[in-house]
Amino acid sequence: MRFRSLLMAAGAVALAGGAFATQGEAQEPIRVAALYSLTGGLSSLDGPSLKGAELHVDQINEEGGVLGRPLELVVFDTRTDQQVTATAAQEAVSSDVVAGFGQSDTTFVMAAAPTFQDAGIPFVTSGATHPMLPTWVGENMFMAAFGDDDQSYAIADYSYDTLEHRRVYVWTDNSMDFTRALTAFFKERFEERGGEIIDEDFFMMGDTDFSAQIARLEAVEPTPDAVFISAIPSEAGLTIRQIREAGLDIPIISGDGFDSQLVATVPGPELANDVWFSTHTYLADDRPEVQEFIDAYEAKFDHPPENSFAPLGYDAIGLIANAIEAAGSDDPAAIRDALEATRDYPAVTGTVSYTRENMVPPKPVSIISVQNAEFKVEDIWRPE
Amino acid sequence: MSVGRHHLAWGLLAVVVIALVAYAEGSLSGYERTVLGFAGIYAMLAISLSFSNGLTGLFSLGHPAFMMVGAYVGAVLTFPANRKGFMLPALPEWLASVEWSLFPATLAGGIAAALVAAIAGFPVLRLRGHYLAVATLGLIIILRVVINNADGATRGALGLNGIPRHTDLWWIFGWLAAALLVCWRLKHSSIGRSLLAIRENEMAAACMGVPRARAKLAAFSLGAFFAGVGGVLWAHLLTNLTPGSFGIALAFMLVVMVVIGGSGSLVGAALAAIALTFLSEALRPIEQAMGAYGLVQIVIAVLLIAMLLLRPQGFFGSAEPSFLRRKAAGSRAGRPLSPGEEREV
Amino acid sequence: MTGGYLLQQMINGLVLGSVYALVAVGFSMIYGIVRLINFAHGDVLMVGAFSAFAILLVFGFPLWAAVLAVLTIGAILAMLIDFIAFRPQRSAPQVNGFITSLGVSILMQNLGILLLSGQPRPFNLPGWMRTNLDVLGARMTVLEIVTVAVTLLVLLGLTYFVRGTRMGIAMRATAENPLAARLMGIRVNKAIATAFALGGALAGLAGLLWAGRAGQIDPLMGFVPGLKAFVAAVIGGVGSLVGAVLGGYLLGFAEVLFVGLLPPSFGSYRDAFVFGLLILILLVLPNGLMGRSTEERA
Repeated sequence: MRFRSLLMAAGAVALAGGAFATQGEAQEPIRVAALYSLTGGLSSLDGPSLKGAELHVDQINEEGGVLGRPLELVVFDTRTDQQVTATAAQEAVSSDVVAGFGQSDTTFVMAAAPTFQDAGIPFVTSGATHPMLPTWVGENMFMAAFGDDDQSYAIADYSYDTLEHRRVYVWTDNSMDFTRALTAFFKERFEERGGEIIDEDFFMMGDTDFSAQIARLEAVEPTPDAVFISAIPSEAGLTIRQIREAGLDIPIISGDGFDSQLVATVPGPELANDVWFSTHTYLADDRPEVQEFIDAYEAKFDHPPENSFAPLGYDAIGLIANAIEAAGSDDPAAIRDALEATRDYPAVTGTVSYTRENMVPPKPVSIISVQNAEFKVEDIWRPE
Repeated sequence: MSVGRHHLAWGLLAVVVIALVAYAEGSLSGYERTVLGFAGIYAMLAISLSFSNGLTGLFSLGHPAFMMVGAYVGAVLTFPANRKGFMLPALPEWLASVEWSLFPATLAGGIAAALVAAIAGFPVLRLRGHYLAVATLGLIIILRVVINNADGATRGALGLNGIPRHTDLWWIFGWLAAALLVCWRLKHSSIGRSLLAIRENEMAAACMGVPRARAKLAAFSLGAFFAGVGGVLWAHLLTNLTPGSFGIALAFMLVVMVVIGGSGSLVGAALAAIALTFLSEALRPIEQAMGAYGLVQIVIAVLLIAMLLLRPQGFFGSAEPSFLRRKAAGSRAGRPLSPGEEREV
Repeated sequence: MTGGYLLQQMINGLVLGSVYALVAVGFSMIYGIVRLINFAHGDVLMVGAFSAFAILLVFGFPLWAAVLAVLTIGAILAMLIDFIAFRPQRSAPQVNGFITSLGVSILMQNLGILLLSGQPRPFNLPGWMRTNLDVLGARMTVLEIVTVAVTLLVLLGLTYFVRGTRMGIAMRATAENPLAARLMGIRVNKAIATAFALGGALAGLAGLLWAGRAGQIDPLMGFVPGLKAFVAAVIGGVGSLVGAVLGGYLLGFAEVLFVGLLPPSFGSYRDAFVFGLLILILLVLPNGLMGRSTEERA
């Protein structure tokens, strides 16, 4: 018994030593930390995002790297777990990276980014869209995507002006910060424009049965002009399919949570109709960088990009690489300054310039329509 | 009382831990200190769960619920007063103006958690076995939904961010020592023997005059107190808090630590918690190098299954490492029967 | 609120309850015989759904082939899990079995992510399964009618099997007292394996129905049904087949009616309500609806 206790203690110490003996000593390449939840609930957003980033790193290194040095990603799996995310951020800033990027959800950015802020290392979130993020975290926080306010305003304007909706019903995933913010901004804009929010219904992430909400929606007299569904991709296709399967052909509108092939494939061509959503300008866009990105992605991974988080990952590392070149140095503070000075960076998801007070890039927003499971760009909305 | 060998062992352990913490605080990187910190917090949580579950044979999964209560109470108390106004508008005036330091906040968080446990435990602890497991699981979900919807006081799903980073290793290991000491003393006291009696045979314990309901409620609340403290420390280490963090996965993880350590063994649970935390960190570079994400969890799951097949009573059973135990007659209380085999949990 | 609306919500509850009941009944059967809370049950369901996906949508076999396949694969997988993970520790404390099943569940989910990726995939049953029919003025798809019918048939079939066949009697004897059953010449391990096979087959079938109803599948999809089965089985009284079915229906109705009948702003409190109700039921009936009070459930 005694011997075993000692063994146990020795084992724990050895493990502790093992955990700490893994610091790298890379010198030559410029290292950038990529923090993504590659397992767990957010892996369907973060996985493609990392693939997009890896593609861009390959391309950059084929063309000679940055400042003549190869770019290297140090990847951390944050496992859709806040504590793991915070620990990974700590490990990242302790392991001589010049910048960090990643994450598609505000909650997880907030677990990682403050650590980068404290360490004076810039962090670019590829997919999180809360417009307050740079204000909350500080001068080292950058966003590759637009803010939720912009995308909600875009779809609210399009719904009111072009589709001439006046009475809209709202469904919200109440378990996520992103979906709640999206709903709040949509309601604000739509009512400001003179529209009416008839009623609201809620569900939670992970729900697969929407029959109760559908029956209530069906019972609304007269039928609403549209239903705004604030959801992430895992529920996007499900809600469309189940609403259409119940025989309701009411138009469905949403934000970039709907930017996923699942919106077309889960309902299938007969049911994926009359859906409009605002998203990052990329899908079905005819700018050359978009098609080049899609072709390169297919060539590398044998399938088209899963959703718009793939080009956002591509753009996040692109912004960093661009800033390193502009700074002419691998010093995090210089890179931060160069990031802040970014103007008209031709990202796949739309041009990025950090001109606003709140540091949210004023990017154009695409309005996409879905008819017979085909995506089509209907309009480009530009922030004022 | 003369100074026994076990006193020396405890003293030595204390010196080693103090030296380690001093070294860690002085010369380890932020990452290494964070990993150590989480290991310490998990060790404390595992000790308290081992106390309330392992000793009484209760099968509660409710620890994350109590952590959640503690973490939110503590964070609201320490949150910078100048930011409370716009971030948490629903707080009453007297709460909105306070800005406590860590220690009173941990106490308050622990007490709040213990109160919730006492109130919830009063009806729920009548349930046994898996029924209690489901009910305590329900407690997690109910509390999470409430916090999620109380935007004005908790910021709901958005989470509370910018909590001051008050937790350091001294606080963590100080509380860990306190938890170990309190639970250890109670385990080896008449109360501990009552609890063990309840675990081994509730009917017989009742016949011997053990006040079952009160003893179980006390053990449950004490476990919840340390869970609440753990929650406060956790929040002030992470600086960021959402109800989603205290979920079913965490409940499972803590139960796994207790079972690996040996149900009812305090030191066993603590060592298992520390070993699991380090193991999962140590395996991560391998996963990264291979690009096979999910590998860490697979390895841990396989180890867990292998462990249960090869050593079903956990590393220590109900016992504590022998060098820490007193070699007197009373110490038998630490080794009740043979641990668990013939018992239904 | 009209009668038609109420009827539609009742039907929604009936269908959701049927799916829960189907998962819960297999869960409860395994619990009944080996006192094991098997959290890997939901992951067997996940494997069933992916098998159906492969057979129907990748290889293009007809539906009956998929049904046969999910039954077989579910049964074999559950027996395999039992053989590797649970059988060697029958004499260990019950909580160990529970923890082992968690380990198996984590293992299967992460293997799924590693091999199949975490991306959800669309899952479509043949079109005729998805057509709407008019039932007393409310709407039901063919799939929904099939789901309700399958659940009732399964319950009848299982009740007959457990009460009327030699193997069923052997299973009940084993559940009652494994040692005594062994002394009476019952091959206990065979009886237990049969319970796992039946439970696994039902989980596989439930996977097909669940996926067909929802419309998409992913490696983590088993968690929610597994948890709901646990809850439903506990409400019903773990170990009781009729209880599990009742528990499943109660849970399904409670979830749908809570959302459907209360003002929408209560919608996000649904899970709190469901678990609150659960705790309440357990306080009044500490052994669930159909559990036997004589049995020591410690």
